[in-house]
Amino acid sequence: MAESSKRGDGIEYATKAELKQAQRQVAMVFDLNKCLGCQTCVVACKTLWTRDEGMEYMWWATVNTKPGKGTPRDWEQMGGGFEDGVPRAGQLPTRRDFGDAWEFNHEEVFFGGKGKDAHLKPSGEPDWGPNWDEDQGGGQYPNSFYFYLPRICNHCTNPACLEACPRNAIYKREEDGIVLISEDRCKGYRFCMEACPYKKIYFNHARQMSQKCIFCFPRVEQGVAPACARQCPGRLRFVGYLDDEDGPIYKLVNKWKVALPLHPEYGTQPNIYYVPPISPPRFDASGNLDESKPRIPTEYLRYLFGDKVDGALATLQAEMAKTKAGGKSELLDTLIVYEWKNLFGPFTQDPAELEPRKA
Amino acid sequence: MQCIRVPTARDRLLDPMASEWSGVAGEAIALGATPLANQPSEYVKASRNEDDVGKVRNVMVQTAHDGNEIFIRLSWEDAQKNVEVTETNMFPDACGVLMPLNGDDAPIDEMGSQGAPVNAWYWRAGAEDEAHNMVAHGLGTTRPAASATIEARSVWGHGAWSVVFARALAGEPEAAVDLAPGRSVRIGFAVWEGSNGERAGIKSFSKEWRELALQP
Repeated sequence: MAESSKRGDGIEYATKAELKQAQRQVAMVFDLNKCLGCQTCVVACKTLWTRDEGMEYMWWATVNTKPGKGTPRDWEQMGGGFEDGVPRAGQLPTRRDFGDAWEFNHEEVFFGGKGKDAHLKPSGEPDWGPNWDEDQGGGQYPNSFYFYLPRICNHCTNPACLEACPRNAIYKREEDGIVLISEDRCKGYRFCMEACPYKKIYFNHARQMSQKCIFCFPRVEQGVAPACARQCPGRLRFVGYLDDEDGPIYKLVNKWKVALPLHPEYGTQPNIYYVPPISPPRFDASGNLDESKPRIPTEYLRYLFGDKVDGALATLQAEMAKTKAGGKSELLDTLIVYEWKNLFGPFTQDPAELEPRKA
Repeated sequence: MQCIRVPTARDRLLDPMASEWSGVAGEAIALGATPLANQPSEYVKASRNEDDVGKVRNVMVQTAHDGNEIFIRLSWEDAQKNVEVTETNMFPDACGVLMPLNGDDAPIDEMGSQGAPVNAWYWRAGAEDEAHNMVAHGLGTTRPAASATIEARSVWGHGAWSVVFARALAGEPEAAVDLAPGRSVRIGFAVWEGSNGERAGIKSFSKEWRELALQP
């Protein structure tokens, strides 16, 4: 199907299969062993895309502590996605669930002449925020554990949002599989928000339409990696085409099979993949290390990434043992990312070196 | 259904509470749930129960024209007024009028078809009365159609909405059904109950076209 008919006048008559069709698929791999929870990706995205009125509570990129309720609160219990190929009912997350946008007394503190006695604080008594349970994690001392889970829209191969929209307002771009919401066609019905099992779609109250991560497509079109990836100081966000056999994405997902989609059982075939966290061993009752048990219960990782996590962890550990013994590992070299630009496949263009676009 | 010709001033006819409307005979139109089988979304089909769709089951319809403009007044019982959309799970009450754009046999339960478009007048509750003229060529294809101006006024009180639509009789090709004294058109109605999460194809509607005869 031609791009013009997808985005132009004919889009309302396209079949869902046509709207899902893509020649190639861009993807990301997040190495959870490297995420330090600094929220730089979150702020990079916020600064670039969600500063307008109606977008105050939106965080297209989030990083949450796991185990934890996440953003929106308890999103994993909100349904959506597919069960045996049939759409599953989902809940509409509320602004409160997302943590809303707190309002602060900036005026009073900075400009009201009370700088010495007024403290900067949110108005009211917030009881939830986008990263509210950041410092909780799971387990009991001395076997407490946590890790960070960065999330963006999964730009799924079988998007529940696309399937749900009665107006064909959602489509995958033919050239790269990026899932977009057409602002011309969206009427703010919010079935997509119900249907997305990852709860990564937001409703803009000012414009009465749904909005979400766009994989920074205007940057991607210029060979620039998405802002969340390029700004990440941890070198953990790989970007590239899934079918590029020389690129790190293909190696991590298809060759070494150490990068897995989040909650594959939701049935949407996400295109964001995660290298699961390797954990130190547990302490036993007498305070000695028990090498037989990982600190992060494997059962919990299976809950997040499915049964293939066992194989992924085994491969990572085997490759680590190999290098410990003095050997070489293509997998670990890929994950280490000696050269920063190796993260980004064909998207290494420095945005500062681009000519400004003509109006 | 008769659309009587009246000499009443337009600002009175535009007022849903004007006493003149009590002199205009109305017709109670039964509404039913939109069939889930018709919904253009597998998600909507799978996630809804038809018994829960279409909370409003009756709408009172009164119509009048003054030779230049037509006024259509819809009123229905609604104990809960849903106007503000400040949370993601809030939806406004709304209503609509539907007519085959070219007078042909457009399917009412599918919002017309590619060959037989329908003309929809849509009002939804809000801080200001907002009404749109739209054209659809089938389910999920509704688009705003420029130029034809629909005005609407609404009042909610005593557990009921009253909404008046007003539009010039003369239509425009491709955008607005052409009306004239002495002419008959087919017409249908729909109501969305915001508190029931009704929006898009999830609504109650008159399952068959009615004939609206404009008095010469």
